[in-house]
Amino acid sequence: MKFWAIRRRSSPFHSPYLLLAVAGVTDEAHTPGPMGESTAASSEPPVTSTPATLSLFERDKIDSSTGTPTTKLSAQVEDVEDEAPIQSQSEPQEQQQRPLNAPSHRRALKSAKLSALHARLSLPSKLPLQTLARCLVDPSVDSRQGYNNEPLALLGQELLGYYTSEWLLCRYPRLPVPVLFAAQYAYVGSQTLGAMRSEWGVETVAAPGPEVDPGLLQLKRVLPGNAMVEGEMMRVKDMPQARRLGSGRRNEQWNYRRGMSSRIVYDDQFGDLQTGLSTEDQPPFPGAPISTTDGNTYPLEGVDQEQNSQPGSFLPREQSEREVESTTVEAASASFVRALAGALYLHAGSAATKTFHKDHVLSRHLPLHTLFNFTHPTRDFSRLCAREGFEPPVARLISETGRLSRTPVFVVGVFSGEDKLGEGAGSSLNEGRVRAAAAALRSWYLYSPPESEIMLPSEVEGGGADKMAWKPQMVDIGEIVT
Amino acid sequence: MASTNTPFVCLRCARSISSQQSRQAIRTFATATNQDRRSRTTAPSEPPEQLPRWKQTPQAMKMPFRLREEPKQPVWKVNTREEPLNDMYDRFIGRAGEVLKGQGESTRGRDLLPEEVKWLAVTHKSFDHGRRGFNDRLAFLGKRIVDLQTSMALLNAPSTPGMVPSSQDVYQHAALEGLENITAFSKNAVLERTRLAKLASTYGIDKVVRWRPKKSDNLKGSGIDTVLAHTMYSIVGALALQRGGEVAAKTVRERILRPLGLR
Repeated sequence: MKFWAIRRRSSPFHSPYLLLAVAGVTDEAHTPGPMGESTAASSEPPVTSTPATLSLFERDKIDSSTGTPTTKLSAQVEDVEDEAPIQSQSEPQEQQQRPLNAPSHRRALKSAKLSALHARLSLPSKLPLQTLARCLVDPSVDSRQGYNNEPLALLGQELLGYYTSEWLLCRYPRLPVPVLFAAQYAYVGSQTLGAMRSEWGVETVAAPGPEVDPGLLQLKRVLPGNAMVEGEMMRVKDMPQARRLGSGRRNEQWNYRRGMSSRIVYDDQFGDLQTGLSTEDQPPFPGAPISTTDGNTYPLEGVDQEQNSQPGSFLPREQSEREVESTTVEAASASFVRALAGALYLHAGSAATKTFHKDHVLSRHLPLHTLFNFTHPTRDFSRLCAREGFEPPVARLISETGRLSRTPVFVVGVFSGEDKLGEGAGSSLNEGRVRAAAAALRSWYLYSPPESEIMLPSEVEGGGADKMAWKPQMVDIGEIVT
Repeated sequence: MASTNTPFVCLRCARSISSQQSRQAIRTFATATNQDRRSRTTAPSEPPEQLPRWKQTPQAMKMPFRLREEPKQPVWKVNTREEPLNDMYDRFIGRAGEVLKGQGESTRGRDLLPEEVKWLAVTHKSFDHGRRGFNDRLAFLGKRIVDLQTSMALLNAPSTPGMVPSSQDVYQHAALEGLENITAFSKNAVLERTRLAKLASTYGIDKVVRWRPKKSDNLKGSGIDTVLAHTMYSIVGALALQRGGEVAAKTVRERILRPLGLR
């Protein structure tokens, strides 16, 4: 039997290789809304090139390492003195040359939206507002390291994925792998997390910039697939380059040797092809040095040579030349929720993250029985009975009505010996038999151990004196292979 | 026709009733869950020649004859003895089971898992057409654990000087130290399939994994790297389900990530 996932919209369309002149705003974004408003009173002037002038315009500067407010004048003096000798002359100029595309973290404490979000989600006070503000900045806004939520989102995705997968496997030990992938997506996939973001009342900006409120989700929206490409007569989605590249598999041909088992190693936690992984060698950061035979290290070819003129230099190339990938609202929303989980883990620990997962993810209801899709349930059920050593299944008519009418109903049961394993009703004898077999298979696969026997592996993680006795969880041998 | 009092029974039902009286089901539908610490209890009325599930393919699933011709390649054989498997578990898990010390049991690798789970964790789906079970679910859970532990280890790894942003525009906090080490590139570099496969070979997993390559004379082309990585994940997943998350996490940290260079 083949299982299909629940109806999912196709994955967010990524077009990193299309060099589009993005206008920045679409028709939707033109509608005036709460996003993107510039509060003149609290906005800062754009960041200028020298650090000295930057500090002059600051108000309420917080000493970022200790979190305590410092007086304005002393802070400015300290900043100027600290920065000049430590950093080389070129680096602050490089970084300040590119102005901030998102609100600075200093404005996080003044944002009403951000504080309201923090309170609304009952986040622990250990999570500072500045980190929450960072969680709301997508890499499409500012791809430099430290300015967006990408590492937090990666960590958070793994945390949420782990907690969800252990919950599913301990609660439904016989779930088939395709259904497991689908359930995983239903709980912590991009679509669900995107819906969660809007349920929380987090709004998106029309366009990112340093003047927007820090409490808004900032992203650079991708051109919709139905939009016309500039200078062409085709839509974006029909462009020939629109292929999903970078799946990390050896052969990029569509679904080449791609079954259910290999997805576990190659693909992501939902069984979907990964994007953004290149099969050829790529430098870890632009301008990464390589060693050569003459003992010196030079940056990789193709890199702007003026930026890294000194051999052996490890400074990253200014990343403004790299194409800033735009994203969809759904992908950015999912990144935000994942980044929040990651930030919770780093600041408040695993207990807080587990509570977050339980409150927001596991509280959602998913009817697992709707995720199944059998093509030949009678055949599969027969194989299941053969494998488990049951009597070969027999279908028997339990009751019927209206056989010669326009709307007959036949209630058929499948029996293994004396035990009725499944029952189904249909408008023909065959349909009833097939439905009964499908019901029997579902009841086998959706078996759940008693509640008192279920323990999650993460409950005993972390060591400590309060180690409960672990109850071994049921391990099923596998589903019927069709 | 004079009507009799015997109810009508269709031919199929009559056959199954008569076969019930002659044959007994090997196992009833309601099997016991894994209550016992060691392994599932077997029914007392089982015939002595009944082998464990991992040792033989179910009789009812076998074809009486082979339809297709044998492939033109060397015959593929897998390990069937218990001792090499136990040795592999000892080598792979090492001393990671010692978190369970004090619970009055041996913490050697071979004693951490029941026998059936030990064999299931090294059985790939390609083995015997999946009729003896396979380790996909265990590998799914194990991969989640390995991914998470990799990110956590990257947090503590030393970062390259160019990667750490020192600008004032970046909020600094003690809890966020090492965060920039977590990138998709670094994670994939650590958990590259070929590296994992080489590590698995050093533990001897390639000698005991039960699978069926497409071409027995070209294992690389048949995907042995993927199968070995899959098996390592599934052993971690089995440990998590049977012994808890602490043992599994410790195994990942000490036996997978540390040899790959992450402390």
